[in-house]
Amino acid sequence: MNRVLTLAAYNVRILLSERTWFILAWALFGLQIAVYGSLMSKLVSTTVPNYLFFYGVGLMVITVFDSGADVGRHFVEHAHEGELPYFLSLPVSRGGFLAAQAIYGVANTMIKVLPPLIGVLWFVGDLTIQGAVFALISMFLLGLGITGIMVSMSFIAFKSVDIYSAFLAGLSALIVRFSTVFYPLIFMPSFYSPISVFSPLTYGADLTRWVLGFDPNFLLNPILAAAVVTGVAVGTLSLSARIVDKVIEGVKAA
Amino acid sequence: MFAVETLNLSKRYGKTDALRGLNFTVNEGEIMVILGPNGSGKTTLLMILCTILKPSSGTAKVVGIDVVEEGTKVREVMGIAFQEARGFWRHKPSSILKFHASMFDIDPAKRQDLIERTMKDLELWESRDKMFMHLSGGQAKRLETAKVLIQQPKLAIFDEPTSQVDLRGKRKIWDKIRELRDQGSTVIVATNEVREAEYLADRVTILHQGQRVVCDTIPKLKDAIAGGDIVEVDFEDPVSGKLVKDLNGLGGDVSLSSEGNQLRAKVSRAEDWVPKMTSASYVAGAKIASIRITEPSLDDVFLHFTGKALAGQP
Repeated sequence: MNRVLTLAAYNVRILLSERTWFILAWALFGLQIAVYGSLMSKLVSTTVPNYLFFYGVGLMVITVFDSGADVGRHFVEHAHEGELPYFLSLPVSRGGFLAAQAIYGVANTMIKVLPPLIGVLWFVGDLTIQGAVFALISMFLLGLGITGIMVSMSFIAFKSVDIYSAFLAGLSALIVRFSTVFYPLIFMPSFYSPISVFSPLTYGADLTRWVLGFDPNFLLNPILAAAVVTGVAVGTLSLSARIVDKVIEGVKAA
Repeated sequence: MFAVETLNLSKRYGKTDALRGLNFTVNEGEIMVILGPNGSGKTTLLMILCTILKPSSGTAKVVGIDVVEEGTKVREVMGIAFQEARGFWRHKPSSILKFHASMFDIDPAKRQDLIERTMKDLELWESRDKMFMHLSGGQAKRLETAKVLIQQPKLAIFDEPTSQVDLRGKRKIWDKIRELRDQGSTVIVATNEVREAEYLADRVTILHQGQRVVCDTIPKLKDAIAGGDIVEVDFEDPVSGKLVKDLNGLGGDVSLSSEGNQLRAKVSRAEDWVPKMTSASYVAGAKIASIRITEPSLDDVFLHFTGKALAGQP
């Protein structure tokens, strides 16, 4: 366990050395909320009360998704910059290696999401420790699920980085656009809403909104949402652990 | 118990067989040099031993531990210096070594001293605060070697440890590898450099097309070549037909040719044949002016066993 933490700490230190990216991410978040979110909120405020809040949570969920995708990219970069064989030669189990990646992912997500979360809750006048903690737990579970999906898919990159990049772009488009991050499910047209239920972001976004006290009439059943978010996290992490252990090899050499 | 033992080890990439039923052993405390051209399966074998690759079939054990069944335990007892230096591009050599030392539980009280000493030994100390991406190819290779040296593992693996390293640096790395062996580590060095093999090897395994061709000490490998030693004898007088006939009658695997005062003999073991030759020459009244003995190189050994030259292989 000590070695897993050492490995994770090393990755997190790399993360912390990239402060500029975090500041840019927070600034972009603030800009998006202040300009786009405010305008959208005025447009739709007659049908969705407090749409700015709805939008803010959606944006945080997208940040969680991006952060999870970052872990997958980080993993693939390790492979293509030649670091993966080194990591795989270290005396940690493959599960421990994956755990270190997950810890890195969680740290990445928390750093990117926590300040915007506090900012949004403060801005809408709903900042409580309890709300922030439960929202973080919800997004943490979602982040683990996304990390699991991305690491599971990373074996594609061992065949071709181009295919992996194209696949990720397509997957992101589907998962984000066909989810409820920006629009409540009840307002979606019938041809669109069935697809939304296949996106884990739908459940993550609605669960986070529910724990923050958003009107449940606009949201999915929170028990169902919690079950799906937890199931996706456990399922995809188990799958990625299996893939790391059984499929991924660090280098091909002759 | 062998430090390393493989049995029918095979590795297939798609339709290409990198290893074909390899049986290979390394004794504890020796330096085993694996010699072979590019594509012979050297790196694949090493990657399987350090659990990065999985064999397609067969077994491999490191100090008795199966590399597939108990990969983590294997990684605890071995260290590898990769063929291509693997680094954290934006990290400094000193912090890379500190991280490596902490992953292998090297006593924190001794860590700093050990790292400093190793970096100085390998002439990396001046570059300790450069970022990895700013190191030269030779420095990056030396850093790769330093990782294994500070670790002092039971099994140390070096994959072409001195490619890109200048001649002085090569000698330093070779000496440190020998030192590691003297301190009790078993060492495997994969190379296609004959000089490196001759300097380091307790035994040599020649790999060709994923199979072990031969494995022995260098002198025995050279002796195994019929006509491997070349003996050139200058006589004071022209070599007579009778002398050639007498020398042919000494027995053993020998091929003689003569021209003027010079006799040229290809023999398996010069140290056995030369005393017999000098006695026969004395009896025949032929006075010897000089004797030169040349050994075959490992290139010749490789050529003999594989039918191909080591140098210039793709």
